[in-house]
Amino acid sequence: MTDPSNTTSGRDPVTVPRLLELAPGAGLDETLEHCRDLVEAPDPPTVRRWRDAGGKVLGHFQVYFPEELAHAAGMLPVKVRGAPVERREADSHFGSYICSILRSSLELALTGRLEVDLFVTHPICDAARNLAGIWARNLPQPARLLYFPQNASSGFAARYLEGEYARLLAEMEDIVGRRVTDDDLRASIRVFNRNRKLLRDLYEVKRETPWLLSVDEAYCLLAVGGLIGREEHNALLERALPAIRERAARPQDKMRVVFEGGFCEQPPLDLLRSIAEFCYVVDDDLLIGLRWLVEDVATDGEPLHALADAYLNSSSYSPVQHDARKPKEKMLLERIRDSRAEAAIVSAAKMCEPGLDEQVAYGQALEEEGIPYFLTEFEEKMTSFSQLQIQLETFVENVLFASEDWEEELLVLQVRERH
Amino acid sequence: MAEGGAAVTAATDVHGRGASDGRRLFEEWYAALTSAPERGEKAAYVFVMGSLVELLRCFDLHVVFPEINSLQTAVRKVADEYLNLAEDHGFSPDVCGYVKADYAVQVRSGEHPMGRIPPPDVAVLTNACSTYIKWAEIWERMYEAPIFTFDTPGSRVPVPLRRAGEPVETPDWASRLGGGFLDADSFEADRRYVEHQLRELIEVCERVTGIPFDIDRCREVLRLTNEMGRHWRRVLELNRQSPAPFDAMLEGTIYLGVANALRGTEEGALYFENLVEEMEARIADGLGPRGESDEHYRLVFVGVPCYPIFRRFYELFAEWGGTFVSSTYTWFASGGLNRDFEYDLEDPLGSLAEGLLLGVREATDSLMFPDRALIQSIDEYDVDGVVYHPVKSCRTVSTGLAASRRVILEERDVLALYIESDMMDKRVVSEAQLKNRIDAFFEGLRSREIRIAGSASASD
Amino acid sequence: MPYAAGVDVGSTQTKAIVVDASGAIAGRSLIDTGANVVVAAETAFQNSLRAGEIDPEAVAYVIGTGYGRYKVEFGDDQVTEIVCHARGAAEMFPETRTVLDMGGQDTKAIRIEPGGEVLDFCMNDKCAAGTGRFLQSAAAALGLELPELGPTALRGRRPVEISTTCTVFAESEVLSWLARGKAVEDILLGVHRSIGSRSFGLLRRVGIEDEITFTGGVARNEAMVKVMNEALGVPTNVSEESHFMGALGAALFALERAQLQEAPARRAVGEG
Repeated sequence: MTDPSNTTSGRDPVTVPRLLELAPGAGLDETLEHCRDLVEAPDPPTVRRWRDAGGKVLGHFQVYFPEELAHAAGMLPVKVRGAPVERREADSHFGSYICSILRSSLELALTGRLEVDLFVTHPICDAARNLAGIWARNLPQPARLLYFPQNASSGFAARYLEGEYARLLAEMEDIVGRRVTDDDLRASIRVFNRNRKLLRDLYEVKRETPWLLSVDEAYCLLAVGGLIGREEHNALLERALPAIRERAARPQDKMRVVFEGGFCEQPPLDLLRSIAEFCYVVDDDLLIGLRWLVEDVATDGEPLHALADAYLNSSSYSPVQHDARKPKEKMLLERIRDSRAEAAIVSAAKMCEPGLDEQVAYGQALEEEGIPYFLTEFEEKMTSFSQLQIQLETFVENVLFASEDWEEELLVLQVRERH
Repeated sequence: MAEGGAAVTAATDVHGRGASDGRRLFEEWYAALTSAPERGEKAAYVFVMGSLVELLRCFDLHVVFPEINSLQTAVRKVADEYLNLAEDHGFSPDVCGYVKADYAVQVRSGEHPMGRIPPPDVAVLTNACSTYIKWAEIWERMYEAPIFTFDTPGSRVPVPLRRAGEPVETPDWASRLGGGFLDADSFEADRRYVEHQLRELIEVCERVTGIPFDIDRCREVLRLTNEMGRHWRRVLELNRQSPAPFDAMLEGTIYLGVANALRGTEEGALYFENLVEEMEARIADGLGPRGESDEHYRLVFVGVPCYPIFRRFYELFAEWGGTFVSSTYTWFASGGLNRDFEYDLEDPLGSLAEGLLLGVREATDSLMFPDRALIQSIDEYDVDGVVYHPVKSCRTVSTGLAASRRVILEERDVLALYIESDMMDKRVVSEAQLKNRIDAFFEGLRSREIRIAGSASASD
Repeated sequence: MPYAAGVDVGSTQTKAIVVDASGAIAGRSLIDTGANVVVAAETAFQNSLRAGEIDPEAVAYVIGTGYGRYKVEFGDDQVTEIVCHARGAAEMFPETRTVLDMGGQDTKAIRIEPGGEVLDFCMNDKCAAGTGRFLQSAAAALGLELPELGPTALRGRRPVEISTTCTVFAESEVLSWLARGKAVEDILLGVHRSIGSRSFGLLRRVGIEDEITFTGGVARNEAMVKVMNEALGVPTNVSEESHFMGALGAALFALERAQLQEAPARRAVGEG
């Protein structure tokens, strides 16, 4: 991509192509539509454009990856998050009781719709751990596992993680053919700190003025970040946020909910739209990996150490990360409190062990707190939402019109296919 | 534990001794667990992959294996009571049956067909299985006891597994992997992390039990595990004989239970010493798992057994003269005993860290990439067919099996059966469907046999 | 001149075939299995004898196959339908290397050697999605008879996407598409494609090698054949006798046994 001899720090801006096909003066609606098209495309054109310009791509499977590393190496970090595609190649590599996102992510790679130069997966669950092996057997590019620490309270965990980051970075250096300096990393951290700030602003809009931005719109603005360079994402959000705040929409009588789903597999946009019909989603854990670090990462000192430390000590929560300091159900209650939600929609992908296990704890904690919740499962490929809508509508009506002594059971709707 | 390693059956009656002694030791173990709280004794919850029983023994902790408790409910045909209770409490039909059964055991204050399971005073787990982590989070919510989650990083590149360090030819795809992850330095970095955590765990155990860590005691426990491991590997190796002396899926699972529960004890070491003797006697007398050997097809089992119909599941193969001469279960669920590794008694802690890391890594890697080790087994054990048994509720052992099967069929002239059921949930176990597929598999083995015999006689 | 017979007792239909010493079909019959499997097996066998005007005494060997194979009480041995379908397909289409058998309960992908020896096979998981049962549920929801499904689906132009993986929920999903105003033929084409895609995955698991023979009751559904041919990119062999393939394979095995007068090699037969 760049002659290694003349670049020792900083990326050459000329080699960073614009990936969005959006006119500089595009209005908000046009911007949202463009993002939606990109997010729904199983064959992301931005990644193709990047590669056509000679760029290298790092694909990282859900949930979190320190994209700063790839950014500093001049690679495009791309979030591998499946797609609702027909699976022709991938299914024969897996057994029957495996979630959809693993199969569809492999399908995208096997059918050439997603090409990466380095693939990194994380043992977030027992199924995902196998993806690296199957990927490596069937695709020419290298595949790696990144074991994030699950013993967050060990005094050694940050040091261990820093070492992992250093090794992965060395692999990226080999791929791009140049060294990455601490200053490169710090520059990237600054870009991402800006991104984190903008995403916090986006969520603040949802929380404070949810009538201005629906959950599916916010999702598209967020998700597109996993498909384009962060500078471009920053520019996009900088233009979109003021436009959103100026929207003319008025508040409606909708229930404020937190939508929690341990999202690794992504819900279809139509599912989000179905929820938006009845509810304001004032907070959620959609694509939490893109918002995993909740504060600015330090740009003084050792950058890899700062990133490792932030992973452990200033991060959000997820069913796939263990940290005794952050019991997930307590974190959910906090999220509900902070966003002043009246109820929760708790979901999990079909066949998702961590997500389904967590649902139990969430349900029990919400019941103890007397917070109404709606329990459901989803699949990235689902196309029929009428059943869900009827139940959700009933749930919302019950909560909105419930008297003080309403039977608690009626506030808990459970939807689960039993085979 | 057993008082003074009591009665071992007379040497003249070695046949079946492993099974009967195993049963007795198991009953004694559960009896000791049941009465532990009234004696004021403490219990540690552990898992088969990366159990660290050796360290816990140094603190007089009883070890509880919730996985074994759960599978026992299935073997004893009461799993559905436990699963239903857990599902009533909100667990999905699609998650790990072991987790659900244990959850119900806890809700029912330890009530279990083998006795009463004491609550944990401490729990130790590794990331060998991600579901271990979700499982222990349930205890975190239920109990005040410290829960120690060990990081034991697995291979960072999807390397093919080699058993016991022996070389196997490297497939093309593996050569693409390279990278800086396999060198000695990176292993040492992982080992240091594990050792650091061991020291943190020791502090936790000292706090829980009030017993200071005694390195000499640790050395002695490790010595006993070394001894047990040597015998265990010998037992596994004796099954290379034809006819094979034991069935690795049925009997192997019983032996495995003892290997886990009695690691680092005199009784455990003695049990396996006796088992070697029994196997040698069986070989000398031409006996197999069903008495007079009727072995016709030599099979490898891959996965976790079908506990809801454990005996019947075995018979579906035995009826055709199929014997499981090897089982991956006896590798990944043996706590690393299958590896040619012994603790270095000069450096107990450093070596315990290394053993834990290697054992867990091999277990997890073998689940992901079992094909190289399987190919080695096919060759060494003269195998006719491989039986893959992925189970619905355990993605740890099941996810990689379809891919492994493809590799095996490409590389060796064996038949490979792929049957899905469950290790706990009889709703997912359809015996008629299993039988149909197993019969077709043997019909295939039979025609293959006829073909091979035909081509052999043609070349005579 | 000795005859041999195969009786395939399936979940919905029971098929019987009698072959003569040359292996040519001398008699056949097909009946609904109904509740009494033993009677169904006997009736189908007797009907096939009558159809071929064959003396029962002339039949030297009978093999039962299909789910009810142990209910063929007059049979001499049992062979699974997996192996029988492979054999039958190889007989009809000698170049067959891959067999797709789609029945009421099961879908099987079988890879075979020349002559029909099974090299590998895979079947659907316990759930019946991707089998004939799925078509039946859809037919019930739309108020159609089974034979109408294929022709109706063939008229479909814009197939809907069927997302459920569960036969039990197939009906409600079909109804929800109806409620959204989709045409019956487009919904049905979607149902066929969803089954086709699952079957394709099963075939990939054993490895697809030309020629491919499509057998079982569902192979008589033209739309299903079309969908499979499109998915595979090559035409599949489909015989008029596709639903008799298992019985034919069983009859051919029976003939071999009769000729060899070889006792069955298996040690013990236990029924579940």
